[in-house]
Amino acid sequence: MAKREIPEINAGSMADIAFLLLLFFLVTTTMDKDQAYIRNIPKKIDVPLDQTKVQERDILAIRANNQNQLMVRGQVFSDPSKISDFVLKFYQTNEKDNDVTNNFPMYSTTTLALCDQNMANLDRQIEEAEAVGNEKMTEFFLASYDEWNKKKNAIKLYGKSQIRELSVQAHIRIEVQEATAYSIFTQIHNEIEEALFELRDKECMRLFNESYGLLKRRFAQDSDPQDKAKIDLLEILYPGRIIEITPKN
Amino acid sequence: MSKFKKEGRGSGPALNTASLPDIVFMLLFFFMVATTSKETDPTVQVESPEGSRTTELTPYKQRSEIDFLYLGTPRNPNRAKAFKMGYALSLDNVVQATPDGLYSTSAVGRWKLDKFAQKPARMTAPLEAVITCFKADRNAPTGLIFDIRKQLQDVEALTIAYAVRDKGNI
Repeated sequence: MAKREIPEINAGSMADIAFLLLLFFLVTTTMDKDQAYIRNIPKKIDVPLDQTKVQERDILAIRANNQNQLMVRGQVFSDPSKISDFVLKFYQTNEKDNDVTNNFPMYSTTTLALCDQNMANLDRQIEEAEAVGNEKMTEFFLASYDEWNKKKNAIKLYGKSQIRELSVQAHIRIEVQEATAYSIFTQIHNEIEEALFELRDKECMRLFNESYGLLKRRFAQDSDPQDKAKIDLLEILYPGRIIEITPKN
Repeated sequence: MSKFKKEGRGSGPALNTASLPDIVFMLLFFFMVATTSKETDPTVQVESPEGSRTTELTPYKQRSEIDFLYLGTPRNPNRAKAFKMGYALSLDNVVQATPDGLYSTSAVGRWKLDKFAQKPARMTAPLEAVITCFKADRNAPTGLIFDIRKQLQDVEALTIAYAVRDKGNI
C-alpha cells in the first residue's frame, strides 16, 4: 500500500486565537505603575511620654490650611515648588560650621570612638536587662545597639574617623487641616522628597561616583548588602524625619 | 487589451500567512511582560495627583503584597451627599458606609487584619511592614486620610504609602 500522506493541519485560525488572547491581555492589564511615597505611622503608645521641649531651630513646620494655602515656618508660600529650596536650606545651613545666631538645626560630630563607647555601654545594659529578665528593655537596648553599629559601619564607609550628623531632634513637621486637598498634602511630601534626593544624590556622586536614583533602583532589584550600606550612610548623613500631625476637629 | 485581461484573471500565489500567528504571539508576550494586571474597577472615582521622586511599588514586588484602599467620589453622585465631605472609602470594591448609609472608616482595621490573615504563606512580612497604599482623589480632604491612618495605627499596620501619578523619574 502506498504511503499515505498526512493531511496538513490548517493553521489559518491560529492567528485568530492569538489575536483573541492578545486583546484579552490588552484589556485586562494596565501599563501604569504604582508610584507612591512610603511613610511609617508611629507606634501607638498607651502612656504618653514626658514631652521634651524641642528647640525651635530643630522644627521645620510646613502648614496647609483648609483653603490649600501653604505656610513654611510662619511664612506664606504662594509657590509650592519653593518649599524644597527651604528644606535644602534647613539641612545645609549649619552643615559645615555651626552658627548659633541662625535659626537652623545644629550639626554634631560623631566619631568612631563614640560609637564604640556607646556600643560597649549598651552591651553591658543588655546583659543587665537579660539578667533581670526585662524583655522590653532588652529589645530596646538591642535596637539602639543596632543603630550605633549601623552608624559605626557608615563612618567606616565614609572613609574618615568621624561624620557630621544633624541634630537628632531636627525634623520636618507637616500640619494640615481637615479639608486640605490630598494633592496639596502629596505635594508637600513631593517637595521634601525632592530636597532629600538632591542632598543625597550630591553626596552619592561625590563619594561613590554614581547617582542616588540608580543606587536605589539597583538595591530594589538585587538587594546587594554593599548598596544597603551605601544607602544607610546617605540616610544617616541626611535623615528624612517627617512627622505628620493629625488635624484637630 | 487581451493582454491585460489575462493577467487580471489569473490569481497569483496565495499570500503565506503562516508567520502571522508568530507575530501576534510575539506582541502578546510583550504585553504580558510589560503590563501589570488591572485592579478591579474601584467603585469610587479617583484621579491621582502628580508627584515626583516616588518609590515604585510593584516592579519587584507582587501587587498582591500591597493592600490598596481607594478614597474618592462615589460613581453615583446621589450617594455622594451621604458621605463626609462627599468622599467615600472603598475597600475591595465595597464602599464603606454605616447602616444608615453614612460615611464610615471603622472597617479599615478589620479589613486590614482580614487581608493579612489571607496572605499566602510565602509572604513573610510582619503586619507592620505590609504596605497599605492610599489611592486618593486629588481633592480628597486629608482629614479622612488621617481618620484611616488612625484606624491602621490601632491595629499596628504601620507602613503606609501615598499613591501619586509620577511625572517621570530620571
